[in-house]
Amino acid sequence: MNFFLLYFLLLKASLTSFSGLGSLPMIRQDFVVTRQALTDHQLNTAVVAGRTGPGPYGLYLVCVGYLAGGIPGAVAGLLALVTPAFLVIPLMLWLGKRADHPRVRDAIRGLLLAAAGLLLSAAMPLTQDAITGVFSIAVILVSFALLTFTKIDSAWLMAGAAVAGLATLLFR
Amino acid sequence: MLRRELVEVREWLPLDKFDLAFALARVTPGTNLLAFCAAVGWLLRGIAGAVAGVMAVTVPSAAVAVFFIYFFEASQNNRIAMAAIGGTVAAVAGMMWSTIWTLLKPHVGGNIRNLQVLLIAGGAFVASWKFGVTPLPIIAAGTFLGWAWQDPGSGRKQAGKP
Repeated sequence: MNFFLLYFLLLKASLTSFSGLGSLPMIRQDFVVTRQALTDHQLNTAVVAGRTGPGPYGLYLVCVGYLAGGIPGAVAGLLALVTPAFLVIPLMLWLGKRADHPRVRDAIRGLLLAAAGLLLSAAMPLTQDAITGVFSIAVILVSFALLTFTKIDSAWLMAGAAVAGLATLLFR
Repeated sequence: MLRRELVEVREWLPLDKFDLAFALARVTPGTNLLAFCAAVGWLLRGIAGAVAGVMAVTVPSAAVAVFFIYFFEASQNNRIAMAAIGGTVAAVAGMMWSTIWTLLKPHVGGNIRNLQVLLIAGGAFVASWKFGVTPLPIIAAGTFLGWAWQDPGSGRKQAGKP
């Protein structure tokens, strides 16, 4: 895929999200549904690779870029990930304390709610792809509970899930 | 950790500037942590500081992520690697549901707020899942609805300010 198109698609997803996985619905729409550049399984793997190492949540965009366009794609993903961060500078210059204005907060709240609904829609097929039996359902439930109700670092969770996956080989 | 290091230990930033950077990073699109690093870098060393702050956080971890995705792709025929990856893919599915929960939870409580959650988040889900509407117009509609339909909680908070 063309470098600039890749950058544009990843930037569009990054710009319209306010949390690490918030960009996932748009990524799935553009890369899996519309262009079929990735499968749901590859998208899941990209999220895993992004979370296995250290760094911010949105890092999976680099992996999506890599899968769609190799090393130049990964660079496009990195640039798309970091570009929106610099918008904070004009915000600091012009918006200042108005960021606390109720109207601005309400607009962001509406955006976050819409993003949650979209993430729900994207999570359905990706969860279906992840479910391969009773074991995977148990891992999904345990990881949901641990991430929601404890302060466990997601890297530890990934490591534990990988070990649990290896343990299933013993029972086959 | 950053607050302790920058404000208390090194005294590079006053607390009010640190808090402003934190608040504005929350309303900046994209990854909040990166916006925060850009803001702090900019306050300390201008544009060069912002670029250095963001790149220091992303470049090393991006290299690690590319290594992992390369390894995962190269291991597609390896039974042991695929078993480990299968476990982590399931964990990521749990992570997605946890993210949805985390996004929705602060906005629940009170009849009007619950109705907003139901209509905006539920509407976004139905529009995308059932009718295949693309994310951009859904995000735009959600933002407009949030702006037009004031959160009673934020109104109370504003009215209660001295």
